[in-house]
Amino acid sequence: MNDLTPEREERSANLKGLGCSRKRVEDARFTQGKGNYVDDLKMPGMLHGDFVRSPYAHARVVSVNKDAALALDGVVAVLTAEDLAPLNLHWMPTLAGDKQMVLADGKVLFQGQEVAFVVARDRYVAADAVELVEVEYEELPVLTDPFESLKSDVVLREDLAGQTTGPHGPRKHHNHIFTWEQGDETATNQVMDSADVVVEESMYYHRTHPCPLETCGCVASMDKVNGKLTLWGTFQAPHVVRTVASMLSGIEEHNIRVISPDIGGGFGNKVGVYPGYICSIVASIVTGQPVKWVEDRMENLMATAFARDYWMTGKIAATKEGKITGLHCQVTADHGGFDACADPTKFPAGFMNICTGSYDIPVAYLAVDGVYTNKAPGGVSYRCSFRVTEAVYFIERMIEVLAIELDMDSAELRRINFIRKEQFPYQSALGWEYDSGDYHTAWDKALKTVDYDGLRKEQAERVAAFKRGETRTLMGIGLSFFTEIVGAGPVKNCDILGMGMFDSCEIRIHPTGSAIARLGTISQGQGHATTFAQILASEIGIPADSITIEEGDTDTAPYGLGTYGSRSTPVAGAAAAMAGRKIRAKAQMIAAYLLEVHDDDVEFDVDRFVVKGVPERFKTMKDIAYAAYNQAIPGLEPGLEAVSYYDPPNMTYPFGAYVCVMDIDVDTGVPDIRRFYALDDCGTRINPMIIEGQVHGGLTEALAVALGQEIAYDKMGNVKNATLMDFFLPTAWEVPNFETDHTVTPSPHHPIGAKGVGESPHVGGVPCFSNAVQDAFRAFGLRHTNMPHDHWRIWQTANDLGLHE
Amino acid sequence: MELNDEIIIDAPMIRVYEALNDPDILQQCIPGCEELIKHSDTELEARVVLKIGPVKARFSGNVVLDTSGAPSAFSLTGQGNGGAAGHAKGGADVTLEEVDGKTVLTYTAKAEIGGKLAQLGGRLIQSTAKKLAAKFFKKFADVVAPVEA
Repeated sequence: MNDLTPEREERSANLKGLGCSRKRVEDARFTQGKGNYVDDLKMPGMLHGDFVRSPYAHARVVSVNKDAALALDGVVAVLTAEDLAPLNLHWMPTLAGDKQMVLADGKVLFQGQEVAFVVARDRYVAADAVELVEVEYEELPVLTDPFESLKSDVVLREDLAGQTTGPHGPRKHHNHIFTWEQGDETATNQVMDSADVVVEESMYYHRTHPCPLETCGCVASMDKVNGKLTLWGTFQAPHVVRTVASMLSGIEEHNIRVISPDIGGGFGNKVGVYPGYICSIVASIVTGQPVKWVEDRMENLMATAFARDYWMTGKIAATKEGKITGLHCQVTADHGGFDACADPTKFPAGFMNICTGSYDIPVAYLAVDGVYTNKAPGGVSYRCSFRVTEAVYFIERMIEVLAIELDMDSAELRRINFIRKEQFPYQSALGWEYDSGDYHTAWDKALKTVDYDGLRKEQAERVAAFKRGETRTLMGIGLSFFTEIVGAGPVKNCDILGMGMFDSCEIRIHPTGSAIARLGTISQGQGHATTFAQILASEIGIPADSITIEEGDTDTAPYGLGTYGSRSTPVAGAAAAMAGRKIRAKAQMIAAYLLEVHDDDVEFDVDRFVVKGVPERFKTMKDIAYAAYNQAIPGLEPGLEAVSYYDPPNMTYPFGAYVCVMDIDVDTGVPDIRRFYALDDCGTRINPMIIEGQVHGGLTEALAVALGQEIAYDKMGNVKNATLMDFFLPTAWEVPNFETDHTVTPSPHHPIGAKGVGESPHVGGVPCFSNAVQDAFRAFGLRHTNMPHDHWRIWQTANDLGLHE
Repeated sequence: MELNDEIIIDAPMIRVYEALNDPDILQQCIPGCEELIKHSDTELEARVVLKIGPVKARFSGNVVLDTSGAPSAFSLTGQGNGGAAGHAKGGADVTLEEVDGKTVLTYTAKAEIGGKLAQLGGRLIQSTAKKLAAKFFKKFADVVAPVEA
């Protein structure tokens, strides 16, 4: 302590840097309705596109008659696959190495598939013209079940006929896409054969949808004079879109500018490349006018980017005392009509191999079979890193099932199997190196806070009262402990279509000491303009309020792979810190020159450089910035700018401990969430308020998925949840109060120790809600029942267990 | 979707059977029927405007009759297409029985519905179909067995 301490604290607080609950700078415009989304764009002469979509899930397209549509006043063009074929744009590559029809080329493979693209003077005329396009279909047998599909003689993908090898290895059947294996099958089977206890369980993680409030859309504008194409769109990865657009269209990349304006939520829905983008670009090139395409809610739910749809069978081996000795996981993955999963190229099942969870499991084996069906393509990571929600749900259910088999408390079972603090960095049996963790501390804190033992006692009393006929409600205690894997990723093993998954930050300090920083990511509501400025404030010593953050314009921002899989903070956040350190290094030289001392004799102090041991001799960052531009400093270029491209050495592994307490009315099947406690450890906390907001949002989407949200199909391949009347989007009515808490275990390899948090609550929340429902019935013999646990299914579970007799 | 019901019509069986095969009467009774053409004794073509929930569309379709059990039983199969609004196919088995000069008509109908109709109107289809069937038979009874004033 010295007399400068309080003053330093004040200076530090003024920066609003790391750890400050700084209010979101974005919210002024959002709360006043001044956001600027794709559909807000209006341009002179702008045309509007709309799709003719297939009402059939599987059919041959016999003919398309455009005459009536073209005759309608205001219709400019109707595009079909025939029109796109000469440009070789009737098919497009998917992110998973497959290809997808842009417009139906001879047949349709899912309900809602794009058949023709109508371009008209306004949105209404376009919609009217869609109804006038006459398409003749010839129905084909529909396959909506991946297991049936693998046995069927019906060939879904005739374009792949005879191809016994796909982008991810051998294909076993004409409707099979790939088999992805990880771990040691032989060793795992040996453990299973000799174990004290082996339990097997099959579970279905149903198909659902990210359903962002703003649907997907774009405006394409081809300037025929200068040959430049500008594409505004709801892109979670604008730079990737530019590169893909260039590769597909043959337009040189410098002639394409992609801009992501404000985005109203992404959650994975806006990672992929959709036919609407290609058709809009082609239509703009053909007409010479800007063309807007924005999908409606039904189109969004039917055709762009589903999530999950994993059939998982697990076997877990353990000793009599509950020490897990091996894990076996077999997945049948329903990918729909085209394999358009948005995963890093080498990971066709994403990071499903994180399915050993938070536990020290010596041997494990995972096999995933991807299968074509007559359902929409997609397979995106809905508020989670690639397939991590599936993996965590799988292991957290297997733990519960093992606890039932061993007649053990599942909290204790978790505790005795956690990876211990001293084992980090921990090499998992399925190939990951967990960077850091302290699971026991987090678990103990969570259980103590909720009075876990007291809850179990109350639950036992409730069961007894129920059996005596004194109550009709049961109590469920849902537990989950998750480990996420985020921040893809090291370029050595993570790429998308060959593009390495680094990210970037470029900083310019202005002469008066304020700054602009641009990054390769793009916020869809995460608050990047707030938090990235905080990282830079702490690194450079300029107040966050004096730093503008810009993203999403490929003409100005440095190249980056975008925002999904919680990668912004782990990768672009690291790039920001590293670029900030470059600024600081140059600032140090300038300060030393101005203070007439050696570089090594000055040190950084919050917002200034001071002469070591002489704190009254200093130069503030403001002084240094001005000097950088206006003073000739021998040996130094003028200016104060830096750029960093960051290739992370590893992913980061956030974790958390969640507890849900639920009362279930056995006669109505209605669950009442009494308490939800969420402890998250995301390493260094940049902005606690934003973290809390992220946790609330992720838990809300977790509640949705666990308790009712799904995209179901009937036997004919009709989507049964194509509107918000049938698709569960929770509102304040359904969402309980969430208690948040934290521990802090920094990432050892991230420059500021941060790990990413936006998706953790979803990953941990889904099994926690599901476990709570299932735990309520454990005393009555329930081992496992599939999500979504809507009122009807919960009632059905109670009924199956004879609780209504 | 499945639908079945039993209706008593105040007319002899043969009269009911004939009416069920009379395109003019059918066109009057089928709600929203704009056109009904009889191509042969067993083949009909129809154009019907249907509204289910928010979806309204003009359906054109074909119906094939199996009259081998006539006049006490017959069955029909058909399919209709409403373009962007969706499509349907299905069939019905109808039996007629004369009791005290009245006819008891029993039917079981099955339909598979696809496209926008199924998506938007999914939860309304059963109730709408019931309503339409009721409308049909009320009108049919009026035409076949007019209440004498």
